[in-house]
Amino acid sequence: MSNSSKEFPFPFTKDSYAYSNNSILLDPARSVAVSSHYIEEVKLKRNLLNQNHERCFRALPLSLEAQWEVLLLVFKELSTCEPQYFTLEQRGNAYQFTNHLLREVESFSFKDSSSIEVEPLDLAGRHVQEDLIIMGDRHDGLFLEAGQLCFPSNWSLTFVLGMEFKAIHTPVPGITDNRFIEKVERFITRIRPNSAWERKNWSVTITNKLDTPLETYSDWGKLRYNVTEANAGELVNLRVEVQRLYRLPVTNDILFSIHTYLLPLNELISNDEWLKKFYTNVKTLPKEIADYKGISLYKRELMTFLERALTQRKIER
Amino acid sequence: MNDRYVVRVEKMEQVTPTIKAFTLSSNTATLEQFGAGAHLTLHLPMGNRQYSLINNPLDMKNEYKIAVKNLGSEQGGSRYLHEQLEVGDIIEVSGPDNYFPVHLEAQHYLFFAAGIGITPFLSMMSYLSTLGKTFELHYAAPHVENCPFHEEITNKYSKQAYVYLGSREEKRKKLKEALRNRKVGTHVYMCGPKSFMEMLNDSTKELHFPQRVVHEERFRPALVIRDPKPFCVSVNGKDLVFVKENESLLERLRNEGYSIPYACRMGICGSCEVTLCEGEVLHSDSFLTEQEKKSKMLSCVSRGVGDIAIDVEQDGSEK
Repeated sequence: MSNSSKEFPFPFTKDSYAYSNNSILLDPARSVAVSSHYIEEVKLKRNLLNQNHERCFRALPLSLEAQWEVLLLVFKELSTCEPQYFTLEQRGNAYQFTNHLLREVESFSFKDSSSIEVEPLDLAGRHVQEDLIIMGDRHDGLFLEAGQLCFPSNWSLTFVLGMEFKAIHTPVPGITDNRFIEKVERFITRIRPNSAWERKNWSVTITNKLDTPLETYSDWGKLRYNVTEANAGELVNLRVEVQRLYRLPVTNDILFSIHTYLLPLNELISNDEWLKKFYTNVKTLPKEIADYKGISLYKRELMTFLERALTQRKIER
Repeated sequence: MNDRYVVRVEKMEQVTPTIKAFTLSSNTATLEQFGAGAHLTLHLPMGNRQYSLINNPLDMKNEYKIAVKNLGSEQGGSRYLHEQLEVGDIIEVSGPDNYFPVHLEAQHYLFFAAGIGITPFLSMMSYLSTLGKTFELHYAAPHVENCPFHEEITNKYSKQAYVYLGSREEKRKKLKEALRNRKVGTHVYMCGPKSFMEMLNDSTKELHFPQRVVHEERFRPALVIRDPKPFCVSVNGKDLVFVKENESLLERLRNEGYSIPYACRMGICGSCEVTLCEGEVLHSDSFLTEQEKKSKMLSCVSRGVGDIAIDVEQDGSEK
């Protein structure tokens, strides 16, 4: 088994598709995780940030307090939970964060913007694999107020900056049925200080490209036409986002972190249970969701590929 | 986070003849951070009691400070804290939680406090001062001797604090006056006895404040059902289901084949909501609004009293 398979957060628990708020409470509360792809993914993030900073980082002035809170939270968490890779030293208001994996040191004074070269959230995000989003918990709703977003699945930070939670999610098919999105929003507003909830969200990406923003759709979207039964195992990747919602205790805002994992189907099908569950979920996917996730274009090829694998491995459909 | 842990009483100070401040700390654990307006839950022999944290959240040195007014009742938690507790004692706590957070989008803050209702504003004022935001405190008390933290407040916030003593009518008039002619972006926060809050709420309505900028405790802590009882449920007007004392309505319904969605099983996500048609319910969630509780219940934590009737949506092939 490869490291990618071992670490892969397989998202399906049932044999048919169901959209639900499948969140679980994390104990202890965590906002980020370090995988075996840490170095390559952090380097990829930094390249993207250096080349397309406006696309990958946006923040409203109101988010500054929460940004500082996130910076310290993430650095403290890394040094506490992964002490072999990270160290944080404090002397009064002065902090020194050492990233032993990258052999880097960040020194800063807490809440002194002149002590760092980029905004605090941008700095925190340069040391983790996650995309980091700050949702401000305002008197009139939840608003996306800052984000470092390098690996989006077909969305644009520039487009959603300052938007309200429900408005951001309007494109998801069926999301307003039974007041679903309202319930999710209320759930988020009820998350208690210092608590974190995790859910997995899945999609499919063609090639193992992590950075699929709306802005470069013309480059990667067309790859969907290239999928055949013969190349699906290599070309098609199950994409899983481990999403965490963390209530920042001091500002009372929400840190939303997204850790994206990709697994090519050739690796996925070597696990019988994963193969069967992935197959049954794609098979029972409502058409509008398949369209939304971009699967409709090659669903027939994908299903044929999976059915052949099921037959080869003598698994009942 | 939600779990209980113990803290040690480090310090006790008499603030007024009836109010004591307690400093709680730990030698072994790192205490969680908190925000302005947050409270701590104390687990006392007579039950749980919540008290606002009064220290500055940005200057928290592994200690929590609370101020408690002795209400004097025989079995009361406040009397216990005043008369039984000593420096060095260990008490069990949980939290902090925050039902009264400061919204940083406000352009200006108006704080209204009466008596011991001052406590959440102590952390708010020191927090906002550190951030350089503008606020005013309008503080009502019967006399200076019964005005907790009067000296500290008038020294520290001499330009922002307005203290109202004297007759009730006069105070009402002045407090109302303080709400007038405010700019858009002003947020109102209030804490005090019921009559005080009602008077201010009425005034904000009269003056057409948008209700979303008027803040009091957002929602009450959930009711804990200590001694669950069995109950009988009529589902969708046909099936009769019996819920035993040691199981939840959600568990029973799922065992009966109803495909009720669920997630947190703690009464906070709202996934397992069902429609309440008839009967009395002990609501134990922190999700539904008071209005919604009349026609809905969360099946994971809330329980019927005796017989109830509910409707559930069928979302699949299971039944």
